[in-house]
Amino acid sequence: MDLDSQLKLQASLDGELPEAEAREVANWLARDREAAALHTELRNTRQALVGFEIGVELPESREFFWSKIQREIHRLEPAELAPRPVPWFARLRRVLVPAAGVAFLLVAGLLTLNPAGQPASEMETADSGAFTYRDDAAGTTLVWLSYPAESEVANNSELDTIE
Amino acid sequence: MPAVEPMTVKDHSSADDPTLVRAAQQGDMIAFEELVARHRDKIYARAFSMMRNEDEAVDLSQEAWVKGWQRLKQFQGESSFGTWLTRIVINLCLDQLRKQKRQRTESIEAMSEESGGVERQMPVVTPNPTAGLERRELRQRIDRALNQLSHEHRTALVLHEFEEMEYKEIAKTMGCSIGTVMSRLFYARRKMAALLGDPKKQDLL
Repeated sequence: MDLDSQLKLQASLDGELPEAEAREVANWLARDREAAALHTELRNTRQALVGFEIGVELPESREFFWSKIQREIHRLEPAELAPRPVPWFARLRRVLVPAAGVAFLLVAGLLTLNPAGQPASEMETADSGAFTYRDDAAGTTLVWLSYPAESEVANNSELDTIE
Repeated sequence: MPAVEPMTVKDHSSADDPTLVRAAQQGDMIAFEELVARHRDKIYARAFSMMRNEDEAVDLSQEAWVKGWQRLKQFQGESSFGTWLTRIVINLCLDQLRKQKRQRTESIEAMSEESGGVERQMPVVTPNPTAGLERRELRQRIDRALNQLSHEHRTALVLHEFEEMEYKEIAKTMGCSIGTVMSRLFYARRKMAALLGDPKKQDLL
């Protein structure tokens, strides 16, 4: 007998088969002694277990067992219901963090605003022959260095003239 | 929900479960204590059937009661209070068994359970080995036999025979297919039959 047949036999015992299949199994049991023997064994095992848990008792007294449950309930409940005390540094942090955020935004706003109507970018020529381009809006600064430096060329011209 | 009148101690002992549940839902701990007193043996028995260890069964049944109190407001009365709490303890036991399984190396028995164990080839036990046994002797044999089953086989058997769950419900509870439930139940029953028939085999199987 294959496993599928054995499981079908068991399903009929447990009332898990549709009526038509249950009738088929009943017919099969009537003509197959091996199947009938297995069916009987499964049924006997099931019957042996009936009422097995009846009479099992918790090995602790009613009072002791309840006291443990009650203690656990009380231990868990205050943690959920009552707010926990907040330490002083946590309270201070609650004030300082938003204040620092506001301050940061103010400073950033002042820096990005251009109240004097100055140009957003400017170009400077340094004495050493370096050109600096600064773009405040983009926050970038570019520096060009000319080589040889213009001042150096001028100096050299002067020297040439002296010679 | 309508307000519930405060109950006296006498009221608690004579009240039915739904009345006690309603009172407990309003925060009446004495009503809850009465429920514990009424159902604690059944909840413990189910935990012990699954765990086969007295200390674990006591701890898990206690945990089930605490969870029961915490979730009491969710209990709508679709099933009896006892059934509702039994399902809580079953789930706690299953969680515990899964934890234990992760911690230990899988046994040969557990590995063979999906592919088909030796139980399928065992000769049929006839006549009924438990016929004529005294209740105490029968209980001892069942106890020893249940200890020999893998926890997957035992759980399937407990949920079907003691909790009277259908295959579909067991599959949902155990997180497996109906086919797996059927084979686990079959192997569990066959092994039980062999162990009940010949207690000397209990160390061999």
